[in-house]
Amino acid sequence: MPHGASKHWAQQSRIRHEPTGSNPNSNLSKLNLKPELMPKHVTVIMDGNRRWAKSRGLPVHLGHRAGGQAMTQLALNCMKFGVQVVTVFAFSRENWVRPKEEVDFLMNVFEDVLKLDLKELILQKDMRLSVVGNRSQLPESLQNLASSSEELAKSNRGMRLILALNYSGRYDITQATKNIAAKVRNGVLQVEDINESLIEQHLKTNRIEFPNPDLLIRTNGELRVSNFMLWQLAYTELLFVDKLFPDFNEADLIDALAAFQRRQRCYGGHKY
Amino acid sequence: MLGFDFIPVITFLRWLESIILELGDEMQRVCMWIRSSGNIGLHLLWRIMHLILSIWYFVVGLLNVLESFVITSGWLKRYKTLDTSQVKYLAVVVDSEEARQTLKILELLRWLEAIGFKNVCLYDNEGVLKKSKDALMLWLKSEKMSKEATSEPLLEQKYMNLEVLSFSDGRRAVAKVANILLERHYLSAEMEKPNLTESDMTNALGEIGYGGSDPDLMLVYGPARCHLGFPAWRIRYTEIVHMGPLKSMKFGALVKAIHRFTMVHQNYGK
Repeated sequence: MPHGASKHWAQQSRIRHEPTGSNPNSNLSKLNLKPELMPKHVTVIMDGNRRWAKSRGLPVHLGHRAGGQAMTQLALNCMKFGVQVVTVFAFSRENWVRPKEEVDFLMNVFEDVLKLDLKELILQKDMRLSVVGNRSQLPESLQNLASSSEELAKSNRGMRLILALNYSGRYDITQATKNIAAKVRNGVLQVEDINESLIEQHLKTNRIEFPNPDLLIRTNGELRVSNFMLWQLAYTELLFVDKLFPDFNEADLIDALAAFQRRQRCYGGHKY
Repeated sequence: MLGFDFIPVITFLRWLESIILELGDEMQRVCMWIRSSGNIGLHLLWRIMHLILSIWYFVVGLLNVLESFVITSGWLKRYKTLDTSQVKYLAVVVDSEEARQTLKILELLRWLEAIGFKNVCLYDNEGVLKKSKDALMLWLKSEKMSKEATSEPLLEQKYMNLEVLSFSDGRRAVAKVANILLERHYLSAEMEKPNLTESDMTNALGEIGYGGSDPDLMLVYGPARCHLGFPAWRIRYTEIVHMGPLKSMKFGALVKAIHRFTMVHQNYGK
């Protein structure tokens, strides 16, 4: 690792806050964004950390570190623009096949981000936090930290950040089916009650105000959803950008939001 | 010209177009003000700007058509030999309003067959394509048979395997599977706490007729860049490409999308 690289990235670990007292709506109009057309729920597949590091001759784990910082800044920017829910795909169930060293480092990054940056947003910016995915496979320290962070944010009313850790779309649907079946067996539900709405109510995103994303952004130029929120993305506008996630900044988010606002929305004749 | 990459030019012009679209409301206000002012000079300037913008749109459209023509003619080497073996299963999602253009759908299917796709899935949310399926298959078969009559008799002509889906094959199918798995795993008195897995879901979907292959590539035709409720279970690693409105579909754009897919490397999470 180049000498001084870790120090460089430590100095970078600061959330850039806007000056207080600025009018959010006037900021939006300066950027040609309409508040009434802002997507309520934005979801991001944060791809490209490793490529980012390799392109700079840095070890892969520094790419993940930079990705963690970019994620926190993304949350802050979304908050600023009035997005109400942000879901980030941090770790997939398929990612366990990666080298153990990389996976262990990723878990440490998640703990650091939860302990420091996201805690700051919870305490200072009224942010709510949910962690979705199969927590039982995560390190115990991370499980405890996720729970305590959610507890800390419990009474907040601001933007909700959903961190998808060890998550997969098929797992989400399977778990929902399993939970419904258990409820029917226990007499809480009837067999006749099982329909697509009921399944939707039992997905991991069931407890939030806007469970289905309006906009999905995937970085790194890949054109697929990689087993993420398969059910929820039925009518989500898909935006695939070439930039690597650590480089995805406020300007890129503005471009994405502007592109969303320009496009015709499709709801498929279904209410949300 | 044959080696010239139009993509940066088209990208730049599209960026300019997006800037112009963003100024839409302001431009409208300026136009109204100029008209009401009665100033001939300003009016003339406005007309000149309008002419410049019209030329821009014309150039963008021309470049798109030119690119498609160049690809279709086989002048660009990289598009000449298209390896479709990587696309074992192709999905085509069409906006339901546009799906009513049956002749356009037929033309698209002809293109796909000509390129070499054997397994194609058509989807639209409202089931419009399901109503047209028989007619589409009949047309394709009759065209094939007339070609067989005039071509090499020893050549075996295989018809395209066409699957047609709608919303009922997606979320509703999963709800049906939930019923089946409930009976199989939970209502049986033997099992205390059964462990329902993704494989159980996949198998059950197959048993009730909703177990088609996962598409490798999905082409979306319509105004919105979403997959309109295509069966969620089947699109884990599907490449999704938005092709624009069906009425503007071009063979060159289709070839380009397929070629791009063949250059992609999937990590599958690694």
